[in-house]
Amino acid sequence: MIVNQMKLLVGGVQLRDGVSTITDIVGRILTRCGLHVMGVERGFASTIYGAHQYDPLMITAAPALSWGDEAIDILVGLEYDANPDAPEQPNRDTILRHARHLVDGGVLLYDSSSGPVPTDDLESRGVRVFPIPARQIAQRDLKKEVVKNVVMTGALFRLLEFDQDEQQLRRLLEQRFGRKGPALVDLNLEAARRGRAVVEQVLRERGWTSVGYRLEAVPGAPARVYIGGNEALSIAAIQAGVRFYAGYPITPASSILEFMEAHLPRYGGRALQGANERESIRAALGASATGVLSMVGTSGPGLSLKVEELGVAGITETPLVIVDAMRAGPSTGMPTKAEQGDLFLVTTGGHGEIPRIVLAPSTIEECYTLMLDAVRLADVYQCPVFFLTDLNLSEGRMTLPEATFRAGPRAVQRFLATEADVRGDRYARYRMTQDGISPRLVPGTRGAVAKVNSTEHDEFGFVTTDPPKRVAMMDKRMRKMGTYLQRDARPPQVHGIPGRGPILVGWGATKPALLEAQRRLGAEGVQATVVHFTHLWPFPTHLAKPLLEAGGPVVVVEHNYLGQFADVIQAHCLVPTRRVLKYNGRPLYPSEVVRAVHEVTHNGAVTVRLGGTEPVMVEVGVDA
Amino acid sequence: MPEGAKTIWDQNATPRHRIQWCPGCGDYAVLNALKAALTALELTPFEVLLVGGIGCSGQIRNYLNGNSFYGTHGGALAYALGAKMANPELTVIALADDGDTLAIGVENFVHTCRRDPDVTLVIMDNGVYGLTKGQDSPSAGLGQPDWVPSEEHPPFLDPVKLALASGATFIAQSFSGDPKHATEVLVEAVRHRGFAVVNDFSPCVTYNKFNTYDWFRAHVEPVPADHDVESADAAWQLIRDFERRAKLPVGIVYRHPRPKGDARRLPMWPAELERVDVEPMLAGLR
Repeated sequence: MIVNQMKLLVGGVQLRDGVSTITDIVGRILTRCGLHVMGVERGFASTIYGAHQYDPLMITAAPALSWGDEAIDILVGLEYDANPDAPEQPNRDTILRHARHLVDGGVLLYDSSSGPVPTDDLESRGVRVFPIPARQIAQRDLKKEVVKNVVMTGALFRLLEFDQDEQQLRRLLEQRFGRKGPALVDLNLEAARRGRAVVEQVLRERGWTSVGYRLEAVPGAPARVYIGGNEALSIAAIQAGVRFYAGYPITPASSILEFMEAHLPRYGGRALQGANERESIRAALGASATGVLSMVGTSGPGLSLKVEELGVAGITETPLVIVDAMRAGPSTGMPTKAEQGDLFLVTTGGHGEIPRIVLAPSTIEECYTLMLDAVRLADVYQCPVFFLTDLNLSEGRMTLPEATFRAGPRAVQRFLATEADVRGDRYARYRMTQDGISPRLVPGTRGAVAKVNSTEHDEFGFVTTDPPKRVAMMDKRMRKMGTYLQRDARPPQVHGIPGRGPILVGWGATKPALLEAQRRLGAEGVQATVVHFTHLWPFPTHLAKPLLEAGGPVVVVEHNYLGQFADVIQAHCLVPTRRVLKYNGRPLYPSEVVRAVHEVTHNGAVTVRLGGTEPVMVEVGVDA
Repeated sequence: MPEGAKTIWDQNATPRHRIQWCPGCGDYAVLNALKAALTALELTPFEVLLVGGIGCSGQIRNYLNGNSFYGTHGGALAYALGAKMANPELTVIALADDGDTLAIGVENFVHTCRRDPDVTLVIMDNGVYGLTKGQDSPSAGLGQPDWVPSEEHPPFLDPVKLALASGATFIAQSFSGDPKHATEVLVEAVRHRGFAVVNDFSPCVTYNKFNTYDWFRAHVEPVPADHDVESADAAWQLIRDFERRAKLPVGIVYRHPRPKGDARRLPMWPAELERVDVEPMLAGLR
C-alpha cells in the first residue's frame, strides 16, 4: 500500500470537462488536510475550448523534490465523446495519450457514459480500471451536466480511501457556492456520493479491497495555501510597495493583472489594463516617474512590443519591474507552453546600451522571495529589473506554508529626495555620483523640478550631444551595474561540492528537476553538483567563475535551442560548456537529465537535445 | 503683478536665443501662450508635469520651467495617463505634434479620449514632420484643392472629429497667429476636469509652404458665440458647417465633463506603504 505518495494526471477536453476544476478541488482539499501538492506542469491547450488539456499533480506527505517523470500512478480521463482533436476516438483520448505512462499496478478512471473503452492491455499490466458513467449520472440522475466532474472527484477520493472527502468537500463547496443557497451544495455532494457508489460497486464486482494507493490526512500541519507563481509574486510586489500595475491580456501573465485588479485597490493602488502592450508599459513609466513603485507583466510577444520602452526606462533612469512569464516562441509560438527563450531579449533587447538587472526565480516560493528583491533593486538602481518566470511557474500551483507570506520583510526603503534635500543648490536629476546613482526627486516635490529625458542629456536633464558630456552620462548610467555587482549581486545556489563530478548549471524553473537528477545520479555513484542562478544579469562573473572552474564538465541545462545562458557563461567565465536543451513545450524530467549527463560524461556529447522524435539527440563536437 | 515683473514661468526659462526653432515657427506662440496660461492659472513649476512628444514641438518642455518627461515617439499620452493616475495632484500637460499624436501615437490618442484622464493635450499641428525634413504628416493636405488622395498620400485626418468620435470631453482649436486667444483656450483646457484636446494650428515656416500664417488667417473663423458647447450633435453640425464653407473653427468646439470621483495620490512614501494586511490576498488561496 502506497500512502500519500503518488502522481495523478487528469485529462479531458479543455473548458468543457473541467480538468482544472478537479485538480483545483483536489489540490485545495489535500493542502487543507496537511498533504503537499505540486501541480507545476500545466498542460493547457492553446484554445479556449475543445482541445485536449491535462493537469498532472504530484501528491506527497513531505514537500516533493520535483514533479517527477512522465510516469503516473493515477489517470483520470474525463472526455465522454469524440474529441475534435481525435475524432475517431470517442472517450478515450486521455487514455491514448497518457495511459502508456501509467505505472504497472496503477489506476485508471474514465468516463464510460458513451461506452466502455478496451483496456485489456492495461489490465494485463496490473492497472485497475474504473469505468465511471459520470456524465450519465450528472445528466440523467442529477439533471445537471456540469456536476460530472464532482462525480469523478467523489470517485477519485473513494478509491484513494480518503476519509475526509465528504466534510472537506462540503466546506469547500459552501465557501464557493454558499451564497447561491444550500441546494447547489447538496447537489454537488450528492454527485460526489454517486461517484463513491460506483467505485464501491466496481470494487465489489472485481473483488478488490483496495487499489494500492491511499490518501491520509496529516493532522497538526501548519496553515498552508495552494498558490501559483503569479499570485506569489503579486503578493510580494504589493508587500514591497508596488502600487501601480499595468498589463495587457496575455498568457501566462494575465493572472497577475487579474490578481492586481482584485487586490491593489485595497492597498490604495491601481491596476490598469492597457489598450495595448505599449500603453501599459508607458503608463507604468509615467506612474513610476511620479515616484510610485510600478510594475508591468507580460510574456514574450508582449515584451517584444515593449522593447522600445526599455531604452526609455534605462536612459531616463526610471525604475520599473518587468515580469516576463516566458512561453515558447518565436512570435505567437506555443502560447500555453513554457520555455526559456527570452534571456537574450531581456539582457540585450533594444537599441543602445542601458543598465538593467535580470532575476529569475526557480520555484513558486522564490517567485515570492525574489520579487521583494526585484522591487528594491529597481528603486535603488533606477533602472528596469526583469523578473523571468515561465508558464509553469506562473500558472502552476503548489502547497506552501502561509508563514512564508507573513514573514516577508516590510515595504522597501525609499530614497526619494525631499524638499529639504534639494534646498540650496540647483537640483540636477542626473547628478554625477561615484556609484552612478543620482538623487531622485519626483514631480510634485516643492523646491525643484525634475527634467526626465530620454534624449542624451546633461546633469540637469537638458539635451546634449557634447562628446565629453555624453561620455560622462553614459559612464554614470552604466556605473550603476558595477555598483550592483559589488553590493547586490548574489552568487548562484550551490547544491553539492563543485569539483567532484559534473556541474549541472541551471536557471529558472528547472531547479527541481536538476536536484532530483542529482539525487538519482548520486544513487548511481556519480557525484554531481547543481549550481543554480537567480541573479542572471549583469552576470556575476566574480561569484560564478570560481565555482565553474572547480573541475568537472559544466553542463548547462535550459529550455531553449541555442543554450542562451551557456553562451553568457562562456562569454563571461571563459569556460567551455556542454548544453542540455529542451524546447518541446514539456518540462524537464529528471530521468532525461540523468541520461543527458551520461551522454556528456561517457559519450563526449557537447549538446544533448531532449524531447524530439528521438527522446535524446546527441551532438558531438570537436572540442569535446 | 507690477508691470514688467517676470512671472515664475519666465524665470529660469530658456532665453530666446537658445531656443532651437526656426525663426517664425508657430511653436513660439504656443510657448508664450502656455507661459501666460500657467501664470493665469497661478500654477508653480513644481506642480506641473510637461510630457513631450517627439518632434520640434516636444522641445517645448525644455523651454519651460517645470517638471518634464520625455520618452518615445507617440507615447506622450500614455506616460501622461500613468503619471496622472499615480499623482492626481499634478497638472499634467502633453505637448506633441500631429505626426506624434495622429500617426505613430494614434492608438494612445483614441484610448486616452475614451479613458478621459484629467490631462491636457496640445497638438502643434503643422501638417509635416519638420525634424526629419518635411515628410507628410496625417494632417498634410489640409485645404489643398489639388490634393489627389491615394494610398501613399491619404486625405487629411481631422483630430477634432477623431476626438469627438472617440469620446473626448473637451475639444478646442487655436491658431498660433492669435496667441491671446490660444492662451484663453489653454486656460479653459487645463481647468477642464478630464481629457482636454487643443489642436493648435502652428505653421511650419520651413517645410509647409501651403498652410502658411496668411493661409490660416484667411481660413480660421471663431466658433460662433451661440454654439452649444455641451452638445455633441451641435459639435458635429458645427464641424460640417465649417467644412462646407472650407473654414477652420477656432475656439471651444465641445465641452462636456463626465462626472468623476475624487482621485487620490497613490501611496509611495514609507509611512504610506508600511501596513499591508496579507490576509485578504491569502484568503482565496486556501
